[in-house]
Amino acid sequence: MSTVQAILSGALIGGMFAVMAVGLSLTWGMLRIINLAHFGMILLGAYLTFQLATSWGVDPLLTLAVTVPLMFVLGALLQWAFDRLGVVELNSLLVSFGILIIIIQTVSNIWSADFQRMTGEVNPYATGSLSLGRLVFPAPTLLAFGAAVVLVGAAHLVLQRTFAGRALRAFEQDRAVASAFGIDHRRLSMALAGASGASAAVAGMLFALSNALTPSTPFEWFGIVFAVVILGGIGQILGTFVAGILVGTLSGLVSVLWSPSLAPFVLFSAIILALLFRPQGLFSQGAAR
Amino acid sequence: MIRRGLAGFVVLFAVLAALPFVRDQIGLPVFYLTLASTVLFWIAQATSWNILSGYSGYFSFGQGAFVGLGAYTTAVLTGRHGIDFFWTLPIAAVLGVVLALAVGALAFRLRSFRGEIFALLTLAVPFILASLARVNEGIDGGQGVVVAIPEFPEQVGLFPDFLFLLNLTIATAAVAAAFAIQNSRFGWALASIRDAEDVAEGLGVATFRYKMMAIAVSGLIGSVSGSVFALQIGFVTVEGVFGLAIPLFVIVMSVLGGRSHWLGPVIGAVVIVTMQDRLADAGYEGWRLIILGAILAVLVVVAPEGLLVRLQMRPWISLGTLAGVVGVLAVLRVWGEPLDWFVAGMVAVAVVALWPVRRRSAVPTGTARPRGAPVEIPAESLAVERPRPVLGDAVVEVDDVARLFGGVRALDGVALRIRSGELVGLVGPNGSGKTTLVNLLSGAIAPTRGGIRVAGQDIRGLQPHRVAHIGVTRTYQIPRPFVSMTVLDNVAIAIMFGLQPRSLADARRDASRHLDVVGLGHRADAKPGEINLHERQLLEMARAVAAGPKVLLLDEALAGLNPAEIDQAVRVVRRIHDAGITIVIVEHLLRVVNQLATRVIVLDRGTVLADGEPHTVMRDPEVVRAYLGKHAHA
Repeated sequence: MSTVQAILSGALIGGMFAVMAVGLSLTWGMLRIINLAHFGMILLGAYLTFQLATSWGVDPLLTLAVTVPLMFVLGALLQWAFDRLGVVELNSLLVSFGILIIIIQTVSNIWSADFQRMTGEVNPYATGSLSLGRLVFPAPTLLAFGAAVVLVGAAHLVLQRTFAGRALRAFEQDRAVASAFGIDHRRLSMALAGASGASAAVAGMLFALSNALTPSTPFEWFGIVFAVVILGGIGQILGTFVAGILVGTLSGLVSVLWSPSLAPFVLFSAIILALLFRPQGLFSQGAAR
Repeated sequence: MIRRGLAGFVVLFAVLAALPFVRDQIGLPVFYLTLASTVLFWIAQATSWNILSGYSGYFSFGQGAFVGLGAYTTAVLTGRHGIDFFWTLPIAAVLGVVLALAVGALAFRLRSFRGEIFALLTLAVPFILASLARVNEGIDGGQGVVVAIPEFPEQVGLFPDFLFLLNLTIATAAVAAAFAIQNSRFGWALASIRDAEDVAEGLGVATFRYKMMAIAVSGLIGSVSGSVFALQIGFVTVEGVFGLAIPLFVIVMSVLGGRSHWLGPVIGAVVIVTMQDRLADAGYEGWRLIILGAILAVLVVVAPEGLLVRLQMRPWISLGTLAGVVGVLAVLRVWGEPLDWFVAGMVAVAVVALWPVRRRSAVPTGTARPRGAPVEIPAESLAVERPRPVLGDAVVEVDDVARLFGGVRALDGVALRIRSGELVGLVGPNGSGKTTLVNLLSGAIAPTRGGIRVAGQDIRGLQPHRVAHIGVTRTYQIPRPFVSMTVLDNVAIAIMFGLQPRSLADARRDASRHLDVVGLGHRADAKPGEINLHERQLLEMARAVAAGPKVLLLDEALAGLNPAEIDQAVRVVRRIHDAGITIVIVEHLLRVVNQLATRVIVLDRGTVLADGEPHTVMRDPEVVRAYLGKHAHA
């Protein structure tokens, strides 16, 4: 594979990382919940897509009609519980780590620990691709990139333009004052967490399109997704998108120049450097909090 | 106390170490020793984690890095280079410490998002090591490494006996270390870091050094125990040692047992390992992690303080439950074997101990009068002119100091001399730079330009604890006590970590004297959560004075108090001043400043607007305008 091809494919796959990361970044930034269970929801979404497509021959893209509402409810319920129990920040990390473990083990009990992959018959996207000269773009990566553009764009517009978005941003900056102005943070938080869950369903579908599934996959996402969240700036939507592309490109390059197993090494080193020198994210103007 | 405790560990070790030699005589199946080895391994690991993360509050997800480093050191050196097993232990120890210090040196520099970022950084470390091991053929190369059984003395008996002794040695040493740390200055330093790190630093605790020591000890124990783990599993794989199972287990164990006490992880490890063993034995393999995850999620919400604290609250009911459940099962003999009964008993105890208690409200309302009358502070009339204190040499010298935050000039061209014995009122509108000046003087931030000297020493770039040792301490506008310690120990910390290190017992004696000065002697044994705002502000002052400063910075120490409380606080400030401490007080209440201060400095938009006698300064038209707006007519 040529270097140019690797860079472009990496950038497109980076779209999937951005979709995985955007929900996590938003709930961390705006609700101060570091929700590791988000990875569990991506996993669930992926397995549900696999199951629906395999059992009933549903087009993988259409499985979103089931998984998106389901994950929305799941995310919102989780947020409701966090809110009622007063779980934030470090504690949320621990609690959601417990939930993630439960989800992973449950998935493993249901679908076994073996690799599962949608067959070519039910997944027409796996083999499709677009060729431009010598460059080849597999359909799943194009879909991932498209989904990232749509999701990130929509989230950005909602946060900037709608009342709910402004209310959320106000809430992020000063909870007490925002509440005093009559912002019902509980409902907004649940809506945001629900939307974040819905994005997890999309991310799961995108992952299932081109990869084999195994219950322990979330641990492989950890590194990349947190790299995207932190490099992009916590809670920054556009930053997350750019960071996703950047990280995808970087790991594509490392994979082709050295070895795929070195990719985590380079990524984590990048996170550490970013944390040390720009803890507020690469693209953020504000000072670190 | 420490010596007696350590002697106890030696005795316990001797008794347990005898088990392999007498197991035939007492009819103990080898299986129990194997299980005990596993328990001991996890005790060592959970203790290693707890010394860093439990004691200092910095949560690590990176325990696997130490285990993996130790395991691979032993596996590779014995298997591929033929080095004797016993030699690999010290090598693993050194590597563990080096890795720990490297991680610490990187991670403890961060100031923002400290806790969460530390957690994520430590999450990254095992991944990095794993990918290095996977790529490097000389270490693993993706195949895993077989660990040969080393030679061991014949008298020991079987291999499981040998493993048991190794694990027992390491676990005992680890727990003894945790015990000694908890009961020494080291442990108190870590506890103060957990409760309020900046405050601890400002009182003279060398926080960076103690955090580095904690992570080094943690790495040492973790990697040596990891070396033995390699023998135990016999086949080392990247997934097995660098995966998230290890951090998950140690975190659950410590959270379950309790993180602030050395015994907590021990209890947690015993409960979790035996329970997991029984679950696997009963064929519920698929439920083990689900139960583990559920324990973690529920405990953090329901009982973040852990089992140990709860057991101490209900010791007899717990013991009774254990005896009852085990006894009934033993008599009935309808189910399981002794180990099952014991585990059932422990689970029952855990449930009983963790059952929600109707707690007495931990934070009494501000109006509730504390038990025992407060020490009355003699009410010298506030209006009376006091004899002028004798002023000495300049103790604070600020030369042309500027401090920028991004493009914002918080302070610019500020020059001040404060002579010893002065009581300076620092006033100014919001945003005029008062707090920035306090932060500069206490060393919390460094000036962008200009010089700051305290008692003749340049304090630019010094860490706050060094500045505290030179002689500047401060209070916080919103009191930030060490919540896990009593009022007395809050003050004792400041004395223990002064320029002259002191022992706890020694420090406590002096601490109670300082509490009397501020009129808090009757609340010495209360926890900060049980005293009201006024008392907490007095505690702030007592703590800052106990550190033995030349200059005391009071940052809005009277905010939010009622008039009677203000009068009492003013008397306390006078007492402190009369004891010979130079004071800079930031205050909005001009009445108080007028009564107290021998000199007033007015800041406005980052510069000194006026400086002099309280009465003259307050009549200065410029000052009046700055305070009341341009159109006010004084």
